[in-house]
Amino acid sequence: MIELKNITKKYADFTAVDNLSLSVRKGEVFGFIGPNGAGKTTTIKIMGGVLKPTSGSVKIADLDIKDHPEAAKGKIGFIPDRPYLYEKLTGMEFLKFTSDLYGVTENGLEKKAEKELERFSLLDWSNELIESYSHGMRQRLIFASALLHDPEVIIVDEPMVGLDPMAIMMIKDLFVDLAKRGVTIFMSTHTLTVAEDICDRIGVIHRGRLIATGTTEDLKREARITEADLEKVFINLTSQQEQADAA
Amino acid sequence: MNTVLTLLRPRFKTIMNGGRSNTRFGRVGKFILLGLIGSILWGGLYTVSIRVLSYFRGIEEIGDILGFKLLSMILITSFALLIFSSIITSLSKLYLSRDLFLVHSFPVAGYKVFIARWIDSTVESSWMVIVFTLPVFIAYGVVFNTGIFYYMCLLLALISLSIIASAAGVFLVMISVIIIPANRMKSIFVFLSLFFFIIIYIAIRFLKPELLVDPEIFDSVLIYITVLQTPSSPLLPTTWAFDAIKAGLNGHLAEGIYHLAISWSFAGCMFFIIVMTADSFYTIGFSKTQTAHVRLIKSKSSRSLVLSFLPRSIRAFAEKEIKIFFRDQTQWTQLFLIGALIVIYIYNFNALPLEKSPIKTVYLQNLLAFLNMGLALFVLTAVTGRFAYPAVSAEKSAFWIIESAPAPLKKFLWIKFFIYYLPLLLLTQILIVATNILLQVTPFMMVLSIITVFFLVPGIVAMGIGLGAAFPDFKAENPTQTVTSFGGLVFMILSAGLIGLVLIMEAGPVYKIFIFGLRGIPLSLYNWLYIAGSFFIIFVISILAIILPMKFGEKSLSRRFS
Repeated sequence: MIELKNITKKYADFTAVDNLSLSVRKGEVFGFIGPNGAGKTTTIKIMGGVLKPTSGSVKIADLDIKDHPEAAKGKIGFIPDRPYLYEKLTGMEFLKFTSDLYGVTENGLEKKAEKELERFSLLDWSNELIESYSHGMRQRLIFASALLHDPEVIIVDEPMVGLDPMAIMMIKDLFVDLAKRGVTIFMSTHTLTVAEDICDRIGVIHRGRLIATGTTEDLKREARITEADLEKVFINLTSQQEQADAA
Repeated sequence: MNTVLTLLRPRFKTIMNGGRSNTRFGRVGKFILLGLIGSILWGGLYTVSIRVLSYFRGIEEIGDILGFKLLSMILITSFALLIFSSIITSLSKLYLSRDLFLVHSFPVAGYKVFIARWIDSTVESSWMVIVFTLPVFIAYGVVFNTGIFYYMCLLLALISLSIIASAAGVFLVMISVIIIPANRMKSIFVFLSLFFFIIIYIAIRFLKPELLVDPEIFDSVLIYITVLQTPSSPLLPTTWAFDAIKAGLNGHLAEGIYHLAISWSFAGCMFFIIVMTADSFYTIGFSKTQTAHVRLIKSKSSRSLVLSFLPRSIRAFAEKEIKIFFRDQTQWTQLFLIGALIVIYIYNFNALPLEKSPIKTVYLQNLLAFLNMGLALFVLTAVTGRFAYPAVSAEKSAFWIIESAPAPLKKFLWIKFFIYYLPLLLLTQILIVATNILLQVTPFMMVLSIITVFFLVPGIVAMGIGLGAAFPDFKAENPTQTVTSFGGLVFMILSAGLIGLVLIMEAGPVYKIFIFGLRGIPLSLYNWLYIAGSFFIIFVISILAIILPMKFGEKSLSRRFS
């Protein structure tokens, strides 16, 4: 469903993503973890069609994002880490705006939008301007808009930032449920417990390179740790890589 | 006092460092350009003031009375401007600035925060009024041949007047913010101040102050002198400043000090009043400003029927653009200003005394109509710079929505183009047609003006959108200010160049058609070819002016993806 082939992204002399290849199956929840500045957000932006890679290709639902950018983007529900929205639109207007862009069937759209708003506890705020929303409410509104066009792939950068514990639990359940229905989820996160709880596979990125991929168990083996949580695995893997780079 | 100075230090450092880090051409260019414009304005004001005051002094008996009357009017106008400027600035400084959260988190008494912000606000709101009235006051000193005492009186009087105006403005603001949240208040005051300005302008135009220097129109000289000598209220701060400056001009030392003492003691009194008011009300008003915005009129979102014929993705962009534009209260004042600009523009043409001109009226009417095209198009450039140029930057950090949407950037830019093109075309055509009717131009000039404008408006708007896309600033707190950036400067220069080029190319053929028509001589084949060729080139230039900037904007914006 998602296929990244030899993705490299350079900013002048700095290589943010270095020859990264990975594929994510339909209905899989893939976690993307790594230290600050490792290249997570850059990779996510490339997958979402927001950024063009220096080299390499991205396929979303068998559509090359370079050759068919609009069609590929239409399959994605993109959720950035910072909830910047149009302050002067109401929540409902924003949902209608995105559904028009993504070509959601107009028949029953209002009901569908209300359902999403209700799911994210925003129905009472649907006719208020977004400028009056809190950070968490904006984040929830982006979730609602990303789900409205029934995407085949959800790409989400730091999904839990700014959300309250109730919303975090709801999002975790939602992702598991969507994956069961065949939606592919690619998420980057610093909240390792979330990754451990819901991800089928996890990829560790460090200095732009994918240094490990697999289930939590696979990663533990790779980090040569048996009894530890993902946090310890993460620290071990990244420090091993740093030592290798230094050598 | 130390705490207040410490609180002011970041502001002072920002100004100092702003100059040190200005290495980009855009900022340096802007600084040079503004400096140049400022110097020209300053020099112009000084020259005009010297000429007017010298003329007044030359009039026997009433010369000085006229000079002092003018001084009194300048002080009253400056005082009104200072109050309005203080209201707008203090609203930002005390209630709306982004750094207020940080400042209020410091372990500092609220009144000290208030004093520091008020000093900052006073300087910011009054420096420009003082700087641009100085050439007039210096001209007084030169014409009245005064000494150092006058300049000291002047400086002290202007500073105390600024303090009083700023204190009055901030007092009004503190009380008002308790009733209306500051963010709405700012729009209301900006709107009111513009309204106030327009009313004053129209009132002055109707009063025709130029008649004051023509005593012949009054029934008797005595009535005229009585009118001029009517004193202002002794309770007004402007009267104290006026009396102090007048004493300085006449060299009356004791009188000057007396009036300055009244003015400064009142300024001191006002300072204590506002500090006491701030102690009781400032924190309440600030807290109230931080509460969530609530819509005054809540309505369920509905689809625009006018745009229903458009394809869905285009309609989505267009509806979003229009809704955001009209809900942004800062745009209302700008729209109001444009409305006023149209009225003043048309009114000025109505007031032209064509019949008194020594040049033959028919020549003059058509010459003015031709120049009017350029003028109207320059007005269009300014309006495009204010609205269309910042349109892409206005997406701000929400631009990711456009980047990740399944729609090409080209479509996004062309929708922006059409949203601004249609109203701006209407605006320019209204200006051209109305002024041409007032000028009673020939049908040929009317048609030529309409067609020229019809072809140039899309080019200028495309330049605005295209260059705005090529030099976007998505991080700008106020995108409307992006027009003063390097990209904005490029837009202004290119737009002026396009207008100039087209008018120069039109001038030759139009002159030939006009003169030959007046003399009743038929045009030769060569002349027809020359005219057709010129208009064809203008047509090609107009089309290129639409396509090239839009393509440039699209390419540059796409480059952000790579």
